[in-house]
Amino acid sequence: MAKPRELKRRIRSVQNTKKITKTMELVSTSKLKRAQDRVVGARPYAQALAEVIGQLYSPELAERFPLLRQPGKSARGAGVRRAALLLITSNRGLCGAFNANLIREARRRLEELEAQDAHTELHLVGKKGISYFKFTKRNVASQRVDIGDRPTLDHAAELAKPLMERFSNGDLDAVDVVFAKFNSAVSTPPTTLRVLPITPPAAKGGEGRRGAANYILKPSAEEILQQLLPLYVQNQFYRALVETAAAEHGARRTAMKNATDAGSDMLTILQRTFNRARQAQITQELAEIVGGAEALKG
Amino acid sequence: MHVSVISAERAVFDGEAESVVAPAFDGLVGILPRHAPFMTLLGEGVVKISQAGGTLTRLSVMGGFLQVASNVVRIVARRAGPADS
Repeated sequence: MAKPRELKRRIRSVQNTKKITKTMELVSTSKLKRAQDRVVGARPYAQALAEVIGQLYSPELAERFPLLRQPGKSARGAGVRRAALLLITSNRGLCGAFNANLIREARRRLEELEAQDAHTELHLVGKKGISYFKFTKRNVASQRVDIGDRPTLDHAAELAKPLMERFSNGDLDAVDVVFAKFNSAVSTPPTTLRVLPITPPAAKGGEGRRGAANYILKPSAEEILQQLLPLYVQNQFYRALVETAAAEHGARRTAMKNATDAGSDMLTILQRTFNRARQAQITQELAEIVGGAEALKG
Repeated sequence: MHVSVISAERAVFDGEAESVVAPAFDGLVGILPRHAPFMTLLGEGVVKISQAGGTLTRLSVMGGFLQVASNVVRIVARRAGPADS
């Protein structure tokens, strides 16, 4: 049986670790709350944009917008030849399998694209993804770690701009984003979203172009689409960033809760072992004293 | 009529109003109740929303669009926030 002093030391160590994980859990909970508000707050805008684009969109117009160009219709024949993949991970660890899942999804997608003979470049956001792909020695087209857990619209614009430009010029046939979709605090599946070419959002209620025909449009449906399509793309990047940030806190909270619970279990067992060891020691000491006294009487 | 102002990050304003003046791409547009369905691009400037009882809300907006349909005005701006001074 382990010595009581040894056990005492381990109990203290587990207690201290538990304090840390408990605090991290509380911090994540409050950050999650705020991040969640941002996800919800971003929803009406995305919805409104999608709705209006859906109403204005028509297949005839699609030909004229480079952002809507489908890969099959590119000048160099069918299929995706050059693609870009943007992977969003967190800067910090201690959030369970969160980053591992995202990286796995990205690798799956890369393989899929490469199986189609597409030359794929990789763009990374977040330290965890960067260190993984550095380890595998893969070429990375761009990387950044400055976004953190409070992404802004400017961050999204910076990410979206070069990719949109290159897509419009025909240097890229497709742009995918891998991020954690925030369904709820406990359900955040890694998701691949094809942001470019834009998949025109379907108009609500199937009214389609007829809905738009009743509007007085200024300057024109084309001009409005011209302005709104880039905003729509930007917004998809923004949502990917915000949802991943929220999902990170959700994942960290779950991981820290599990760690705290495991700590409590360990403490119970250690405490019990310690008590038993202490009792055994006392019993033995008593036996020795009694034995000694007996011997003296002798 | 119902007016909502939405920015990329959150809904900034949501409520009933008697008139709205907004900066469109080529000048100000005023919207009164029962306006015809209308859609225009926004420029940069201040949206003024007058509510019943004389309350005037001023919001600065940039980019995006304004949509009027069945007495609902929706201002969807890239950026929107309270106009300072």
